[in-house]
Amino acid sequence: MSTELVKVTINAKDFQVPKGARLIDVCRENQFDIPSFCYYADLALQASCRMCLVRIEKMPKLQTSCTIICTDGMVVTTQSEEIEKARRSMLEFLLANHPLDCPVCDRGGECELQELTFDWGNLEERFIEQKNARAEKYLSPMVANDPQRCILCKRCTRVCDEWMGEDAIEAGNRGANTVIGTYGGWLNCSQCGNCIEVCPTGTLLDGTYRHQARPWELTQTISTCTYCSDGCQMSLGSRGDELMRIVARDRYVNGLNGEFLCIKGRFGHPFVNHEERIRTPLIRYQKGGRLVPATWDEAIRFTAQKLDGIVAARGNNSLAVVGSPRLTNEALYCLRKFAAEVVETENYAVADAFSLKPFFESLGGPLATHQDIRHAKTIVLIGGEPEELQPLTAKQIRQAVRNGGAKLILINSVPIRLREQAAQFIHIRPGTENAAALALAGNADDALAARKMGVEAAELEILRQTISETQGDVVLMFGGELSAEAQAVVAQMPYTFAGEGRRILLHPLALFNNSVGALDLDVNGKSVSDLLDAAGVSIHAMYMAGSLLPEHMPKCGLSKLDFLVVQELFETETTAFADVVFPAASFAEIDGTFTNNDGFVQRVRKSIEPVHQSKPDWLIVSELAKELGVDFGFERSASAVFREIAERIPAYADLRYPLLKDESHPLQVKHAIASKRELAKEIAGIRRAVAELSDDGVKVSETPQVGHELFKLGTLTDKVPQFHLLAAGNPTPASFAISPLYQITIDEGIKREKAVA
Amino acid sequence: MSIITEVIESTRAIIQGMSVTLSYIPKRKQTVQYPEEPVTVQPRYRGQHLLHVDELGREKCVACFLCAAACPSECIYIEAADDPRAPEERTGVDERYAKIYNIDYGRCIFCGYCVEACPKDAITHGYNFELSVYNRADLLKRKDDLLITKQVQSKNYRVAFSDEDVDSEWKEV
Ligand code: SF4
Ligand code: SF4
Ligand code: FES
Repeated sequence: MSTELVKVTINAKDFQVPKGARLIDVCRENQFDIPSFCYYADLALQASCRMCLVRIEKMPKLQTSCTIICTDGMVVTTQSEEIEKARRSMLEFLLANHPLDCPVCDRGGECELQELTFDWGNLEERFIEQKNARAEKYLSPMVANDPQRCILCKRCTRVCDEWMGEDAIEAGNRGANTVIGTYGGWLNCSQCGNCIEVCPTGTLLDGTYRHQARPWELTQTISTCTYCSDGCQMSLGSRGDELMRIVARDRYVNGLNGEFLCIKGRFGHPFVNHEERIRTPLIRYQKGGRLVPATWDEAIRFTAQKLDGIVAARGNNSLAVVGSPRLTNEALYCLRKFAAEVVETENYAVADAFSLKPFFESLGGPLATHQDIRHAKTIVLIGGEPEELQPLTAKQIRQAVRNGGAKLILINSVPIRLREQAAQFIHIRPGTENAAALALAGNADDALAARKMGVEAAELEILRQTISETQGDVVLMFGGELSAEAQAVVAQMPYTFAGEGRRILLHPLALFNNSVGALDLDVNGKSVSDLLDAAGVSIHAMYMAGSLLPEHMPKCGLSKLDFLVVQELFETETTAFADVVFPAASFAEIDGTFTNNDGFVQRVRKSIEPVHQSKPDWLIVSELAKELGVDFGFERSASAVFREIAERIPAYADLRYPLLKDESHPLQVKHAIASKRELAKEIAGIRRAVAELSDDGVKVSETPQVGHELFKLGTLTDKVPQFHLLAAGNPTPASFAISPLYQITIDEGIKREKAVA
Repeated sequence: MSIITEVIESTRAIIQGMSVTLSYIPKRKQTVQYPEEPVTVQPRYRGQHLLHVDELGREKCVACFLCAAACPSECIYIEAADDPRAPEERTGVDERYAKIYNIDYGRCIFCGYCVEACPKDAITHGYNFELSVYNRADLLKRKDDLLITKQVQSKNYRVAFSDEDVDSEWKEV
């Protein structure tokens, strides 16, 4: 939008608005209320509901303000008898076929149609004709559908297409028979549920929360998602001690994701109140024995004694402390403090899938926020698969390409789904992602890189040329495939490519909700596999918050430890080795912060009381520290922990909980920007590694299935029955009338096979 | 005043008082020999609630929570649930029904707002008024205590006919 201003007159008042502004937005910003259904910011225009009608001077008829761009001297009326009459008649048409079943509709109470009917509806219905009755049904395990309630605003179809790139839900038939549905009647999409979110009526509904509560009963708590590193803002709806649902409806929360959430964020919460949550502290008094419930006092005392004994006998470094990238900054900070100040061990690590440490050490430019991605002009994605692992980033990329005209350059060994949006797809051999960093750094190694990647050297030339010709923002993203050296090279690229009118922004695709925070708070950045290798050799006891990732499990060495303490929500493969298990509180039960891949520090808020006897992770560590003679002095307050983080960690300086209150203006951590430096050593290292790769690896030509990562059963998603259906390939049930949960029993065989794969 | 006048005065007062008392003896009695005799209640009397069922015996309540929302003393607690069975086999008239429906009579003020709010005519006030219990916790009535098919009606009331004038005597004073 240009900065040039034009004059518009609305209801006899003059306004200066930026040229190119949309009339409906301008009216609303200036407090002239305009009802609408089909208009949705940043989606293609539809103009089908005609609720937004206004009178514009010199135009023959009433105009839809959602399609009008302000021009100089425009004179607009938003309130008059004529307009009121038109809007009332429009609403009457919309309600002509709408059933009067608000009492049983899950949307009742937060329904846009209900609200506008309050304002613009008539007391009586004049249509007495038979309504076009259509039965309620399910479109997938997650999406329930009552087609008769639809007003055909097509928000769902546009969101499905523009945000998700799936086109899974579409309008079928014509005229009065138009119905929103899907090919074959069963949705085989990524089950994000965004169509549910944006539907202004009760047509598309959350199939997992069907008929359970009404929105006004729920306490809405704004918090941050606990799955991936995008850090979506969401609203947890709880009733009493139960977490009932999660939505991102912007009336409750207005974060970086708007109304977007993915399947995990929206539907992956039933683990919170799951019956398998660990209820009390558990102690295994004898190796090989059973975990026996104990009181907190007993468990803390027992642990302190044991740790004391091991440290006294074998030295401080015989104890390792391991955190998890799922924990809050507060918990990770307490763990680190515990390691450094209580047991004084050097062995502290975070069990992440890969470390971004080299990247952040060489960081040569700012991190790209999701807003930046949406408005970028060129996006380069090396490796990774954001559709499955960072769905919000994928949505921003798609919108940047589709609605913003950005160029996407994909460098991947797999033709991932984003390929459809890509202007250039550099299809490389598996395992050769590092060569892409080589190509970015300059053309000296093009011949080698192209040969190993199995592409033309010209493609790499185009890649560099596109970046250096871009006017606007360039976002460089990369997944976990890059080696430490390659990460450092990419991190330094802003110095190579930035220029007049061009910013180079970086966006690491970390895997977990607090991977970035865990790194910020890490002291010496040891790798967890090194610590696990040392188990039984130099490390004899471990204190773990959260479990190990499945990839660490096979040769974890935990059985060689003399003593293992684990803080967990559920009994896992890791707790099977534990001598003491503390019940930890989940993200819905605690206060804290997560740092996402934009570097935004966002609040996690307590929605329900900790279930059973669980306690927040940081509190457990503090209590144990106290028993060992060091009082952290946090006094049960998470904000006191955060205050200390702000004091001790430079990147978090000056941050306070009150400053993080507004989720619509998240604050970015001040990551130190490294100065430009010589990359010869790294480049030589990459060159050497690339040269060793084989020349004739086979390329993967098949696009992976939707949900191959999203639907995977982890410790948390395993607790959602619907996920089991999806993990088993989302079979089409015999009848759409009722939830497939009542119809299909998941074969243990299929489930396991998927989980391991 | 002499003692004689005092005696006369007080005797007169007694006679006056007793004459009023005695004049009521032949008239119709206001007291009811409860519980031997049933109490007559107005048709619109607001007693313990009834949850209604349709012709097939299915609960009319669809757990819309409007009664709970309308209730000024917040004494209604509902938990809704999904009933995937065929319409004839369902607990309620709709797929959505109240799995739990509690009214706390320790709090209810018998205002009738819940009845007013109900879009399905599923809840009305019945006539049962004998709600005293030995244990305060027993004031919490569950769905099984409220369903019209299950609530035991007290023998100690009689509903007045709509044209019957039950309490006009009281209006006079
Ligand atoms: S299903 Fe909802 S969002 Fe989709 S067209 Fe109908 S009313 Fe609009
Ligand atoms: S009668 Fe009044 S106080 Fe009692 S349950 Fe109904 S609404 Fe609540
Ligand atoms: S909002 Fe303008 S026509 Fe629907």
